[in-house]
Amino acid sequence: MRCGYEGDREGMLIAYLYDDVEPAARAEFQAHLAVCEPCRTELDALSGVRTTLSRWNPPEPKWLAGQPNHQSPITNRQSRWWQEVPAWAQVAAALLLLGVSAGIANLDVRHDGNGWTIRTGWMTPPAQGAVAATAARRPEQIGVASQPAGAAFTPASTADLAALERRLRDELRPQAAMSAVSTQTPVRTTSSDSEILRKVRALIEETERRQERELALRLAQTINDVNAQRQADLRKIDSSLNGVQNSLGVEVLKQRQTLNYIMRVNQKQ
Amino acid sequence: MTWTDEELVARSISGDADSFNELILRWERPIYALAYRTIGREEDARDVCQETFLRAFRALPGFRGQAKFSSWLYRIALNLCRDWVRRERRTPVVQAPEDVDLMDLAAAAEPSESIEDLVARKDLSRAVEKAMALLPEEQRTAIVLKEYHGLTFQEIADLIGCPLSTVKTRLYQGLTVLRRELAKNETVPKKAGSVFQR
Repeated sequence: MRCGYEGDREGMLIAYLYDDVEPAARAEFQAHLAVCEPCRTELDALSGVRTTLSRWNPPEPKWLAGQPNHQSPITNRQSRWWQEVPAWAQVAAALLLLGVSAGIANLDVRHDGNGWTIRTGWMTPPAQGAVAATAARRPEQIGVASQPAGAAFTPASTADLAALERRLRDELRPQAAMSAVSTQTPVRTTSSDSEILRKVRALIEETERRQERELALRLAQTINDVNAQRQADLRKIDSSLNGVQNSLGVEVLKQRQTLNYIMRVNQKQ
Repeated sequence: MTWTDEELVARSISGDADSFNELILRWERPIYALAYRTIGREEDARDVCQETFLRAFRALPGFRGQAKFSSWLYRIALNLCRDWVRRERRTPVVQAPEDVDLMDLAAAAEPSESIEDLVARKDLSRAVEKAMALLPEEQRTAIVLKEYHGLTFQEIADLIGCPLSTVKTRLYQGLTVLRRELAKNETVPKKAGSVFQR
């Protein structure tokens, strides 16, 4: 037998199946169903599929609200706290950090016709000269950073380079002499040796004490973690045992009822 | 006093964090279920669920209430699920554990349910998961929204952005595939009551 329904048969089957249809259309299709075997069969089959689908439940998530270890995605967001800060504030903070860092590093950043120039001045004041790091410049344009701040940049000449070399040699000479003296003559002050030794020992002791403290702290933390895990495991085992007991209880009850029934039947016989 | 979703949204926008937490309590489970049934992975479903609420929280000031809050939330979750499927470039994975943990099973048992019934229920659930994983994404989404979230055809059409007739077609095609696939599985009961006789 073939279905003679005129119209959107599939749509109507689905609408009827989910009872999401106008009353008039529903009545009309119901009349059709009364005389159409294929539609009835298909509707029953689809209804069976719906029944089966209703048995599908997602696994119970342990992290949902109401669970002991629930973490709200909004309130518990220590790791995402920065996402609440407006973008302009983040930019301002970044610029501030950059400025402070540059100040600490005694950075001298400038831009001129030759590109960006960044100079650090940890050891020497900027006016005395500093190592210049120059980006986007040709090697021959790298100048000696001995100009006062604010002065226009001029490419270094051979004479400048020679002067720099002389000055560096002058500065290094006394240091070299001192190191030579220190290697040639053993330090005559044994008292300074013992002083150094004492300081080193003190440092080692201090380090050991710090390590011990850290170890103790970590041990305590580990013990706490283990205890927390243990408590959680115990709770889980407890709930599992309750489940097993429930199941067993039901089984025992069923068996007892069966036994009672058998005994009653035996007594009757 | 019980606030409506819309009232809680308004309070959240004015800065009341507890109101948004209340919304999470209300909708976390359905959103997780939607994500799990769409992508089939518990961990990823959890991530999608949490990301849904984070996005909702950030976008809350822009929520004008043209749609229901739940519809808006569903749309965010579905978009995230769709992104996940495209990113992973694969169909949902069915988590079918080979080693069934009896302790876990017992813990999940209804008080009046025997272990045998429970195992049968789990098998059936797994069979459904496998069959659902075979469906194209759009059919699966339509079935999940209709079957498990009770949305009307019109709501689904609005949510997915397709004509109402398309929603019905997807449902019909999806259910037909499921019918065929589930019929192959021995754990699925073969008989069902007649709809017509209801």
